Amino acid sequence: MAPRPTTGPIGRALAALLTLLFVLAFLDIEPARAEYGDVVINNYSDAAGMRPVVFPHWFHRIRFRCKVCHADLGFQFKAGGNQINMAKIIDGQFCGACHNGDIAWSVENCNLCHSAKPGTVTQVHESTIQKLAAPAEPARK
Amino acid sequence: MHGLARLSVSILVAAASGAATADVAKGKSVYEKTCAVCHGSGLAGAPKIGDAAAWAPRIKNGNAALYASALNGKPPAMPKKGGALDTPDADVKSAVDYMVASVQAKPDAKKDARKEDKKPDDKTAKPERPAESAPAAKAGEPSVVSVAPTAALAAVATPVAATTSVPAQTPAAAADINAFNRLLKPVGRRNLPPAEDGIHDPANDGTIALQAPLAAYGNLPKSNAGNRIDWVQSIATKKITPRWDRNDLKAEPVVMDLNIVREVKGSMPDVVYPHKQHTEWLDCSNCHPAIFVPQKGANQISMAAILLGQKCGVCHGKVAFPVSECRNCHSKKKDLAVQKTAEAK
Repeated sequence: MAPRPTTGPIGRALAALLTLLFVLAFLDIEPARAEYGDVVINNYSDAAGMRPVVFPHWFHRIRFRCKVCHADLGFQFKAGGNQINMAKIIDGQFCGACHNGDIAWSVENCNLCHSAKPGTVTQVHESTIQKLAAPAEPARK
Repeated sequence: MHGLARLSVSILVAAASGAATADVAKGKSVYEKTCAVCHGSGLAGAPKIGDAAAWAPRIKNGNAALYASALNGKPPAMPKKGGALDTPDADVKSAVDYMVASVQAKPDAKKDARKEDKKPDDKTAKPERPAESAPAAKAGEPSVVSVAPTAALAAVATPVAATTSVPAQTPAAAADINAFNRLLKPVGRRNLPPAEDGIHDPANDGTIALQAPLAAYGNLPKSNAGNRIDWVQSIATKKITPRWDRNDLKAEPVVMDLNIVREVKGSMPDVVYPHKQHTEWLDCSNCHPAIFVPQKGANQISMAAILLGQKCGVCHGKVAFPVSECRNCHSKKKDLAVQKTAEAK
């Protein structure tokens, strides 16, 4: 009755990850609990078969003042209000002003931005508006 | 003859306990491989290993019920066999035993702990030790045997197991329809890493590469709302030094120190609007003239408008601190009406 050899660290990590995914799939019924100010942009993504974009405000405000994006780069103060597309980004507009492989990682890293669950609607997550409009949390089964 | 009998008994005991320890080892390895993801930290309401209060009500229903939950899953969070469907049933049960043992401090668990401590001379020691420790455990004496630390641990653990026979009410009774703070985000569910935040797709390979909020927030000043970070303090105390210009690392903001006081109706303190804290982050053109006409008395502002995302609400309630933090803005006390009437007399 010797213990079976373990599958090694990779196999173990994989198993752990799979378990986590499985659990998260079950937890889908719970409302999202992302960071305050996380912006989901889904103007074109879903229609184009990509995951919607998550823009983490908190991450960027640690590194840049609001003014850099909202004055210098012309981002409007409105989720989904900027008609950003990949052509503009590659031309160095909007996200592309920094995400050019120089200031920040470049556009080849599709999945770092396009990382939301498919079908997530454009929103400023946890915003007052979102909280006001949200129906009461459904009772958990 | 007497000696022979004693020898055979000791061999029997050794063989039995050998099998038991193998099961424990198996349970431990399955636990570490599969169960620990949730049961290690108490994720998703899973009873945490070693948490006697969380396990007591479950243990009360008997081992069969525990095995059934582990093998068949238990909605909403517990998947069949913890998601590792290729694990043999017996191994899943061993893992359950291992977790149960963590709160019960069974003799098996003690032996296992001892084995762990003494791995190098494991094989040579095996025939001797169980025969020696089993009577000690039976006698109920906090053993004076060989390994003092584990014995002490077991002695501490036993009373805990005794107290947990009374079913303890866990605070996370989320299913209760009349639970407190039904709509609030529980403390344990704040600042979650991307893969768990409900917006990021955990199946996306990029999600794992993203920074987790708590990793970044480490030493930043805390607040009671939003990201739970006081961003104004963070920048004032230079805990963060965000760039003012994306290319010029030395560019400094043009900070304007001018307070605008807005008198408000009723007993609510007047609003003091500080240009200083705002110009640390923003350019004049961000607010003027589109959102606020730069002229005293020219702007109609109401809480209703702010709640709907206009005026201050363009940022406050989306990324800057939300309207729940009334006194951050309504910060200038009024001369109270009582005082005024007193003066009139």
